[in-house]
Amino acid sequence: MNFTISEEQQSAQQLAQQILSDFTEVDKLKAIEQQQKNFDADLWQALAKAGLLGLDIAEEQGGTGLGFYSLTALCEEIGRTVAPVPIIPVLVSAAGTLRRFASDTQKDQWLPGIANGTTLISAALEEYNNDDPTTPSCSAQKMEGGFAISGTKICISEATSVTRILLSAHTGDELVVALVDPRAAGVTLNPQLVSTGETRHELVMTKVQVPTEDIIATGSEALAAMNWAHQATRTALAAVAVGLCDKMMRITGQYTSEREQFGRPLATFQAVSHRVADCYIDVECLRLVTQQAASLIDEGHPAKDAVQIAKIWCGNAAHRVSQAAQHCHGGTGVDRDYPLFRYCQWARQIELTAGSSAQITGELGQAICAEYLSTTT
Amino acid sequence: MNIELTAQQKALQQEVREYMKTVMTPELLEEIKIPEFKEGGGPEFRKQYARMGADGWIGLSWSKALGGKELSHVEQYIFTDEVVRSGFAYPFLTTESTTPVIAANANAEIREEVVGGVKQGKVVIAIGYSEPNAGTDLASLKTKAERDGDDWIINGQKMWTSLANYADYVWLAARTDPDESKKHKGLTMFLVPTNIEGFSLTPVHTLGVRTNATYYSDVRLPDKYRVGEVNEGWKLITGQLNIERLSLFTHGQVDSLYQGVCEWAAETDAPQGGKLIEQPWVQHNLATVKSGLEVVKLICWKQVWAMDQGPLNMADASVAKVYSSEFFVELYRLLLEVMGQAGTIATDSKGAVLKGKLEFRWRVGPVLTFGGGANEVQRDIIAMAGLWMPRTR
Repeated sequence: MNFTISEEQQSAQQLAQQILSDFTEVDKLKAIEQQQKNFDADLWQALAKAGLLGLDIAEEQGGTGLGFYSLTALCEEIGRTVAPVPIIPVLVSAAGTLRRFASDTQKDQWLPGIANGTTLISAALEEYNNDDPTTPSCSAQKMEGGFAISGTKICISEATSVTRILLSAHTGDELVVALVDPRAAGVTLNPQLVSTGETRHELVMTKVQVPTEDIIATGSEALAAMNWAHQATRTALAAVAVGLCDKMMRITGQYTSEREQFGRPLATFQAVSHRVADCYIDVECLRLVTQQAASLIDEGHPAKDAVQIAKIWCGNAAHRVSQAAQHCHGGTGVDRDYPLFRYCQWARQIELTAGSSAQITGELGQAICAEYLSTTT
Repeated sequence: MNIELTAQQKALQQEVREYMKTVMTPELLEEIKIPEFKEGGGPEFRKQYARMGADGWIGLSWSKALGGKELSHVEQYIFTDEVVRSGFAYPFLTTESTTPVIAANANAEIREEVVGGVKQGKVVIAIGYSEPNAGTDLASLKTKAERDGDDWIINGQKMWTSLANYADYVWLAARTDPDESKKHKGLTMFLVPTNIEGFSLTPVHTLGVRTNATYYSDVRLPDKYRVGEVNEGWKLITGQLNIERLSLFTHGQVDSLYQGVCEWAAETDAPQGGKLIEQPWVQHNLATVKSGLEVVKLICWKQVWAMDQGPLNMADASVAKVYSSEFFVELYRLLLEVMGQAGTIATDSKGAVLKGKLEFRWRVGPVLTFGGGANEVQRDIIAMAGLWMPRTR
């Protein structure tokens, strides 16, 4: 048992903090928000130059190979600064899955470009009413030289600008993981404005032909790939939430310490300070379950329960801390000239992405039921 | 970052778990059904406590000079967790909280008498801090100790002196500076043998367990029973609070309740057909318990790991106390809800589930959130030490 963060990981995190603080001053965030796309390409290049896009990409493909845990530490910093970059879909859901499940040829084709910031691959793990990429409703039909994929995926980041989108479909009896070119025939992208304020896309596929070289895995390998992607994505979302919630809590602690009403700082009212203290407890709990899930994935150990628990805490803590932060700020908190609203938007987005707390509590309950029915009777 | 027990730590866990099965003898299981002995103190309890001493299990974390094994906090926690899980009324406050302080601060004769006795599993120490008018504001306590030659004359009353009915000593905080405005700067610690003249007690029956009010009427106590310097008692009280909490909020004791209810729900038929555990509302409660329990485990591990690295962060210690105490109360309810009416059937009555353990545990639950430092005080500490917010008024 060791809660120490290695020196390499610490320096990567410090480097990230430095770059992110330069790129996320309020004026810069506002300027990005005025753009059509909520993506800071300059920041992405700066992260690439610093080697931070390749934390979980092997050295052979131009990464640093520090591993998944380090990547979640970067996710936490992204959350802390609400930096407009698609770190989870590109680096976790897509690159992380490719690193572990793609062929060597595919890895050499895609990962160096992701690490150096010249290629973007997004991921589409969710469908309407289905966040589980191991059970897609999208279908894949085997054909000469590849598969034809049909169906709909939703809320995809950077769908119009990426080279490929990683997603899953089923042939009836087996799962297929593929890289779909968003410019291929049969693809329609429909804009979807989401809670963060960014425009994502619905991807409608009608017999989109995917050549064999863009098929990442089929059958049990595809199942393993999508299980990994699902768990890693949930964990990374929890890591972003750690940063978001920690920052919201600190903003609130500071604001209530300075803001005076009835002739004294708000923080000197116990009703106020205790609500912020409750946020502190939530953040610490969320941090612990997230660190556990991330380190288990990092070491390749079974992480299913730990990930479910992390995402349950993620949704609950994100909601509670966000609401408490808003409440303790009064009108200032909802004002778009004050930074808090961005955090609250992200918190809601993350809470409802890759499974809500209620849904995953249900999943965990079913797993507990299966476990005890099998051992008791 | 690696949040798992090592193979050696798992082996220790297993060793303690097996050993404690031999401590929980059929005789002891019968004895603790008697309300008087539920919290220890019966002859079989005494016998098993002394056996743990003889087998070298007491004082694992103490220095080698005191006969301990200098185990790390992580290993000490693994031991504590398993002992609490077993249900043995091991006197942690004696072995882990007061004895190390006594060892470091008492004179040689008392150190030999008390520390040696604890090591052998022959001595139990009750805590005499709270008074009828000094609870959360402990430093306002009024029990007085006045110097008289080589002795101290002690007068006053203590409240909630748990285990005093069978303890050998009371670890007593008394005011030695008559100026009450000095509050915590006027307190001194004493060990009061419970067979001394002028000491008496009356039982206090609580919602859960029996505790005591203890009275000190012209108790003449030789100065050798003073521990630490005169008027320097406060730091002896506060120095061990984190250790105390670590034995209160361990993971195993509630994890075993969760597992027990899961097993029960998997065996029990639901009126609608199938087993109770197949009901969505049951699964919801069990999953909510499991996700909260995981944090209890991680908080304990992080705390003991941090204590091996250096002093514990004040805000983190308070987070552990508030979260665990409030979650324990919630867990009792969530598990009792699964059991429904059967959850109300007490130990030894027909139809009791898990021997009525949860019916008993909810009764001691309310103490957790105010005992050992009220949660309001802990939240004040979190706001100040964790977030640098100004002191509340």
